[in-house]
Amino acid sequence: MSTVIEVTDVTKTYRKSEALRGVTLALQPDRIYGLLGRNGAGKTTLMSILTAQGFASSGEVRVFGEHPYENERVLNRICFIRESQKYPDSFTAEHAFKSAALFFANWSQELADRLVTDFQLPLRRNIKKLSRGQLSAVGVIIGLASRAELTFFDEPYLGLDAVARQLFYDRLVEDYSRHPRTVVLSSHLIDEVANLLEHVIVIDQGRIIMDDDAETIRGSAFTVVGSAEKVRTFLGGREVVHSDNFASLASVTALGTLNESETREAAELGLELAPVSLQQLIVRKTMSASPASSGAADRPLSEVAR
Amino acid sequence: MLIDNGRPIFLQIAERIESDIIDGTLAEESQVPSTNEFAAFYRINPATAAKGVNRLVDDRILYKQRGIGMFVSTGARAVLMQRRREEFFDQYVQPLAREARKLGIEPDELADMIRQGEHAIQGGTQ
Amino acid sequence: MNRVVKVMRMQLANRWIFIGIPLIILAASFLLTLIIWSFIPNDGGVRISGGSQAVMWYFFALGIQSLTLTFPFSQGLSITRRTFFLGTLSLFSLIALITAVTYWLLGLVEQGTGGWGVGGSFFALDWIADGPWYQPIAFYFAVMMALFLIGFWSATIYKRWQATGLLIVGISVALALVGTLYVIGSRNAWPEVGAFLGSQTQLAVAGWFAVLALAPCRRFVPHPASGRALVGSAVKWNRPRHAESVPLPTLLHRIP
Repeated sequence: MSTVIEVTDVTKTYRKSEALRGVTLALQPDRIYGLLGRNGAGKTTLMSILTAQGFASSGEVRVFGEHPYENERVLNRICFIRESQKYPDSFTAEHAFKSAALFFANWSQELADRLVTDFQLPLRRNIKKLSRGQLSAVGVIIGLASRAELTFFDEPYLGLDAVARQLFYDRLVEDYSRHPRTVVLSSHLIDEVANLLEHVIVIDQGRIIMDDDAETIRGSAFTVVGSAEKVRTFLGGREVVHSDNFASLASVTALGTLNESETREAAELGLELAPVSLQQLIVRKTMSASPASSGAADRPLSEVAR
Repeated sequence: MLIDNGRPIFLQIAERIESDIIDGTLAEESQVPSTNEFAAFYRINPATAAKGVNRLVDDRILYKQRGIGMFVSTGARAVLMQRRREEFFDQYVQPLAREARKLGIEPDELADMIRQGEHAIQGGTQ
Repeated sequence: MNRVVKVMRMQLANRWIFIGIPLIILAASFLLTLIIWSFIPNDGGVRISGGSQAVMWYFFALGIQSLTLTFPFSQGLSITRRTFFLGTLSLFSLIALITAVTYWLLGLVEQGTGGWGVGGSFFALDWIADGPWYQPIAFYFAVMMALFLIGFWSATIYKRWQATGLLIVGISVALALVGTLYVIGSRNAWPEVGAFLGSQTQLAVAGWFAVLALAPCRRFVPHPASGRALVGSAVKWNRPRHAESVPLPTLLHRIP
């Protein structure tokens, strides 16, 4: 199978800041990718460049083997509805869907109709008068019903309540099962989307800090809690990504897996072991990977940490 | 939460199917839901669900019939029971003994307690 | 179906915008003019109304909107900039042509009915309606296209360089105008200019409008192949490899 997206050493510099720094990626077909990271980490910038809506300052971009810029052969197969997607003021949701149906070869009106019912979206109301959540629903519906070979969802849930978000995740899994395609889902609500992802890409301050199968990452770290001294003995030379101390107790997150005898040893030392979720690990990593971000310490965790 | 976020999901899916086979929910030679059905039910990536199911196919707990679906192999239950019994000591007995020692419960006392627990369960099920 | 045609259909998804509203504006401004004419006593002279330009200004606004709102939407649907530009321009040309022909036809009616029976002049304005049939059509067409494209380009410049860019361009245009006036005045050339303007035919004026409208496409923004943009080389642009063949104004290439 051929690679869908190939990015080599892409940087994006705005006047004062670097939005992307040396990003190199390869995305395989028919997988659901999670593009995770904090707000402002560079997720939208990267997706804009991949869809030729934005431009890289340097580096190579190949989508379906070609440069996407002004390239109809490539763009025909892509759908990218932005988080803050603009629609013509005069449009209703119905106009937007009719337009989308013109341009996406695999458009499923049946799916669109069903999603409209699911999200209880008023079709004939002027788009300017829709709530933030309803506006997001319009984008989600276009993204799903387009069935584009390469679909980007950029934080698609803004203003959607928990029920509507779950609906989106369910429909995504369901339709993807029947019509496999490459999906890139950008999000900072990691726990919510973690189980949907086959592959995880974590971006932090414009750099890719994680690029691996979700299942590999899930088993790749553990947390030990117990007396600080015993924890230290137990961990030995393992790579620690995070540690918390409280009186004589320590809670340490370390990389690696534990075999049976190590698990037994921990139990005998009276240490507690806990698995580390994708979200916890990403939070730990994005915090440890950004020592330069001491300025961001006043907002240390944002939503990600919770 | 149906799925525990910290462990590989494919392992959890495999374990769930195993448990269903052991307690008889999935009888031998009965059809197992498709990976897409697993994916939709547990709200997980279909590839992950497939990985869990394939692990059991590789173990010959399940077998595939082309174009029809997947089924529980004959003898699967016995194999799984044997495997779980082997794990029982590590997973349950050792932690139990350790906790008992911490609380000063003597081995004889512990054995008595286990017998009582067994009675309670039998009483509860009758 | 051709994607350029699809862009036209997308723009027409809400038919009111390009068809319904212009018709209403035209009908309303015409009715209003008739009512006003009926109020003022008829002294036998010709009564001229500028009401027919109302629709044209509406197209100026449409030019702005089609870039600020419809363009970002078209990007969400993965439409190339070239296709979007060609589709929008085609639709616009079509509508401008229909409007121009309508104006010409209504102008004929106006002349045939003695100015709607009240000596009014709404469509067949003096000078514009003089001469062969194609002259007023070309004139109206060119004016509408100019207004639409000026709206479109202003919005483009605004999107690319924000208010500063628009200000710089605006000031530059104003300076150029003032400079021209100064040169004419300092050389006492007004009589010649007057003679020149007087000698212009409708067709020639239409031509001037066309130059004005298309200037951003060709002249004052170079072709993308040159790799340089309007306000200069301050911003470097990495020209995509296959863009050489793209016959599209640089400005549109550069909108992020």
